[in-house]
Amino acid sequence: MAQSVKIYDVVIVGSGAAGGTLAAHLARKGVDVAVVEGGPKINTRTDFNTHAMPWEFANRQIPRMKPGKQGMASERARGLGGKTLTWNAVAWRQSHRDFKGKSIEGAGEDWPIDYPDLAPYYEKIEREVGVCGNYDNLPDLPDGVFLPPVPFKCSDRLIAKGAKKLGLKIIHVRKSTLSRNQFGRPACHFCGNCMAGCDVVAKYNSYDCHMLPALKTGKLELIPNAVVRHVVVNGENRATGVRYVHRETKQEGEVLGRTVVVSCACVQSVALLQMSNIANSSGQLGKHFIPHFTGGVEAFLDGLKGTPLKNDEGFLDHAYLPSFMHERKRDYARSFGAQFGYQNRRSIGWAREIKGMGADYKQAVKDRYPAFVVFSPYGEMLPNAHSYIDLDHNRKDEFGLPSARRHLAWGPNDKLIFNDMQKWAAEILRSAGAEILKIHDDPRPNHELGGARMGSDPRTSVVDAQCRAHDVPNLYVIDGSVFPSASEKNPTHTIMALAARAADDIARRLQRREI
Amino acid sequence: MSERRESLKIIGSIGATCAFPFAADELYAQQEHTHTEGVAAKLPEPKYFKKDDFEMIAALAEMIIPRTPGAPGAPGALDAGVPAYIDFVVSRSKPQQKLFSDGVAWLRKNKFAKAPAEARLALIKPLCDAVDNGKVDTPSRKFFRAMKSLTSDGFWTSKAGMADTLGYRGASILGEYPECREH
Repeated sequence: MAQSVKIYDVVIVGSGAAGGTLAAHLARKGVDVAVVEGGPKINTRTDFNTHAMPWEFANRQIPRMKPGKQGMASERARGLGGKTLTWNAVAWRQSHRDFKGKSIEGAGEDWPIDYPDLAPYYEKIEREVGVCGNYDNLPDLPDGVFLPPVPFKCSDRLIAKGAKKLGLKIIHVRKSTLSRNQFGRPACHFCGNCMAGCDVVAKYNSYDCHMLPALKTGKLELIPNAVVRHVVVNGENRATGVRYVHRETKQEGEVLGRTVVVSCACVQSVALLQMSNIANSSGQLGKHFIPHFTGGVEAFLDGLKGTPLKNDEGFLDHAYLPSFMHERKRDYARSFGAQFGYQNRRSIGWAREIKGMGADYKQAVKDRYPAFVVFSPYGEMLPNAHSYIDLDHNRKDEFGLPSARRHLAWGPNDKLIFNDMQKWAAEILRSAGAEILKIHDDPRPNHELGGARMGSDPRTSVVDAQCRAHDVPNLYVIDGSVFPSASEKNPTHTIMALAARAADDIARRLQRREI
Repeated sequence: MSERRESLKIIGSIGATCAFPFAADELYAQQEHTHTEGVAAKLPEPKYFKKDDFEMIAALAEMIIPRTPGAPGAPGALDAGVPAYIDFVVSRSKPQQKLFSDGVAWLRKNKFAKAPAEARLALIKPLCDAVDNGKVDTPSRKFFRAMKSLTSDGFWTSKAGMADTLGYRGASILGEYPECREH
């Protein structure tokens, strides 16, 4: 394979929320950018099985991609747009409490930045790709620049009433999904398939909303099907580019750059740095792995049992229970929030749990069908010594690269939050009037964060406040891996704001010829 | 508990890669006018089960989710092509094969095939009650739970179950969100 002889200003590994945002912001500033993505180009309008029904398939499981369409096949080779193609688009701003947990409560780790540092970048993202939501004036969940919120479902209204009796306020969810036509993209059409690829791009994805428009600058080059295996750092401790394996031909290639950015989503970013044996003079690389943990209660709302079915699953979840325990007396540090009602009505595995057989069983399922709701709190994990990311050299993937390995152990504080959030979830549902089907008793990880944490001290952190590696001055790491603390809020909006902020830093340093 | 997780896992591990277009719609159309008595004549050719065993499985599926009079809610497991779904899933799962071979042996021993409807119910209802009360301790009860799970999965994810019985009209394009005004 012919090697690229061009030297880009910036080579970005990964094309998801971080890589895509960064690429667009840099290209618009006139910086020469290459995005190196392990997976193929995916067309979100045609390639996903977005509107398929389970009965079209022998095993009743809808495959993610249409026949003959490639993508989303492995963690190292998803496709242009990465996980933003299939995310649920929840977009929160973090608050002062999220950035300064250690100072406030003595738990977790402080970020070297605070809310005012990131606020202008949150706003930039909201203005350029659109976030819908309500202005709620909550100090812990700062408002942004919002398109109108999407109305509540009936289940949201019932849950909100139940929560109100307990002194809790339910708000409209905020999502990077358009509630009206804007930016040359149509508003959501409420088909309910957000996580099966949005086929009209009402929901943000980094390819259609950031990289594609930026291609017009002539400054951005996309290099798909290139699985990066190594970040090259020369004898003068400067990153000079990346080496990759072609996803299909398995041939090797190289992309050269003055600056290298690793944005492969938390675990894979850490793995790439570990495979390259760089950015670890602190010994902290891979440590402090702090994914959110989620629980969940499945229930049937009494008020909806036996009612006519409404076609209201579009946009998935419409409401949110913001953190409230941080203001209350509790026996743990940090807090949780809760998403609910994001189940799609084609997920009907719960029906096998309904008792009985025969006509009565059939009727029992039918009555409960409009009333089914999943309530899922998300809690903030504190770092511990047993939770980290490393490489499994005995398990190679299809590209001959060692697999990334997650080690996860819940600490005492995590368990206290988990128990409390599950208790609250059941209590809110009971207060709303519900038959509880199942309370999940194991915490499950979601929203992977940490592993290359940000900090001002090079001895205890991997990157600085601008996401620049302490060890290699022209290497950046931008994605969930840099989070020193997890918050309980869905992280993608913060990752995009960090990318926009790093774009300013990178452009400034390139201009000054510092990198 | 671990049993149930296991069976869930089995469903999950069939995986997204081995799917191929399935004629569930056609099956439904073919069987729309059949009656439960005519089960044997209308069943598709099983790929995994022996023909006699498959007929027992099909009859049991129809007992768990029967056709009921009046629409909507009329179709039953046979109308929905559930036996073919069970045949497909069991053919691909060793643990399910064990559960079902135990179950079929038990059905044979208890002369399920020749039994009239009341006797069949008297045989099966206690299994259902035990499973509902969390007593899943014998091969026959384990078989019943697997049978109910697959019948449920197969029926409610079929067009007859999801669209015709439950009235699912989602995955459609709406001009406006149907806002809740009644609560």
